[in-house]
Amino acid sequence: MATISDISNEFVRNEIEEYIEEPDERERLLTTYAKISPEMQEIGAALVDGQHLTVDELTQKALAAGTDALEVMDDGLIAAMQIVGIKFRENFIYVPEVLGCARAMKAGMKHIQPILSASGIKPIAKVVMGTVKGDLHDIGKNLCIMMLQGAGFEVIDLGVDTKPDEFLAAVEENEAPLMGMSALLTTTMPNMAVTIEAFIDEDLRDDVRIMVGGAPVTQEFADEMGADGYGKDAMECVALAKRLVAEAVETPG
Amino acid sequence: MTSRQRVMAALRREAVDRTPVCNPTSVATVELMDLVRAPFPDANRNPEMMARLAATSYTELGFDSVMPVFSIIQESSALGCKMQWEQKDNWPTVRMREPIWVEPDDIKIPPDFLTHPDMKCVLDAIKILRKEYGNEVAIIGKTMGPWTLGYHCFGVEPFLLMSLDDPGKTKLCLDRMKEATVQFGLAQIEAGADALTLPDHATGDLVSGEYYKRYLLDLHIELAERLPAALILHICGKTLDRMDYIAQTGMAAFHYDSKNLPSEAMSIVGNRISLVGNINNPETLFSKGPETVREEVYRNLESGVHLVGPECAIPLQTSIENLKEISRSVKDWHKDHSTSN
Repeated sequence: MATISDISNEFVRNEIEEYIEEPDERERLLTTYAKISPEMQEIGAALVDGQHLTVDELTQKALAAGTDALEVMDDGLIAAMQIVGIKFRENFIYVPEVLGCARAMKAGMKHIQPILSASGIKPIAKVVMGTVKGDLHDIGKNLCIMMLQGAGFEVIDLGVDTKPDEFLAAVEENEAPLMGMSALLTTTMPNMAVTIEAFIDEDLRDDVRIMVGGAPVTQEFADEMGADGYGKDAMECVALAKRLVAEAVETPG
Repeated sequence: MTSRQRVMAALRREAVDRTPVCNPTSVATVELMDLVRAPFPDANRNPEMMARLAATSYTELGFDSVMPVFSIIQESSALGCKMQWEQKDNWPTVRMREPIWVEPDDIKIPPDFLTHPDMKCVLDAIKILRKEYGNEVAIIGKTMGPWTLGYHCFGVEPFLLMSLDDPGKTKLCLDRMKEATVQFGLAQIEAGADALTLPDHATGDLVSGEYYKRYLLDLHIELAERLPAALILHICGKTLDRMDYIAQTGMAAFHYDSKNLPSEAMSIVGNRISLVGNINNPETLFSKGPETVREEVYRNLESGVHLVGPECAIPLQTSIENLKEISRSVKDWHKDHSTSN
């Protein structure tokens, strides 16, 4: 069993000791980081600290030195986003800090993405995300997207004020098994149901798992409109996405 | 007591004949729009319609206040933000993904700020309401705080990243934007507003309580000193961690969200600031029935909350029956309690 002393990077050690309180999560992170190289731990430390320029520089350095792009992504960036997600969930950090970490993640991914695309390496799954028609709020959606990308999903972001036919087109075009809708207003929540209806009408409902979220949305509302899942925050969104993708693999539409 | 006297006394934490019913944000609904022929978006841009719709709070729902500013966009529209006006069943919104400012030097309050049609509409609506209702009912205006103006004019993510990267620059921006808050607030007081709601969305769902202290506490103290009317601060979401600071601002009241228990909120603020709220909008007023509304009203009254009402601008499809239940419940509770006394 890995211990805290197996982690070479002092910043990462401190982050896990101070902020990861749940025993299963701590054990998982210790196990993960015990296997990660010091160079990748350094990238992760910079990401958790929101140092986007450092992440940019270290990512380029690692790739130039021959480190596999997938290793940089998984060990340098994604592992660190797990720490960020837990800190956010537990209110050790808030949205400004998460935005800073997400910016750092993007700084690394801009060097990694072209390599992965060229090599044909696939993400966990594609997920289409959008705020529904009539709603211009997107901070919640964007946080979910950051966490989903941080967890290895490829996200097609439709932005705000997304009409049902735009969701349909994006899911079809990208063959996405998963879709997420966000609404911040009670006046726009009903458009989630309208969008799900559109998928039923086009005979595409069984081809995609649909998750919903947003401040006024509840589990009860999600169930009533026929969504496959509801996430109350960005961390739950990721867990839900993983579960729904696993379900989609087991029981394809 | 008249409704107006009741609200103003409660804002000063003085004795009242019963707890006033108030929504410092909006009680506009589609049903009420139909009732008085004042639909969105026109009711946000036409002063007669705005006043007519606002008055239904008093005439139809039995609330003790009227508040004609249904949305949060007037200042941002006058500052030059792009707007999406929507239809009857949705609020107008600022296109925050198309920000108008990037740097502090971009912040400019135009000379015609107060005469912009969307601003003038509010001022005229307040004058109409004052003339129509005299001293019967409390008229509450609304002036957006600088943090919210920051979201609208800089974009939410850029503004929050600025607050992380450069606190000095952020404070400078807030300091410049607060002049818009003061100008519009003063104009509404002059037009006849008894009190002003001041929404400033440094919500616990986005930023920490420490952020409130760092960026807004001193600024809100200044606003309370400069605006000569009762100020009702409104911040959505989880706010228990900043209520002690809010209670130090000198503002008359804090309009608080259902994510905070009334009893906990009251124990933090004590007698330093009045509390207004906090009936849940999406789960109770929008989705459930009068019985659940009554439970939440009673929970607030039993905790000693000074003014009872919805937690925020109510969902436009909320039924009138649920809204009427708020006033009914308050009256019944007081009747029961005076009987038992």
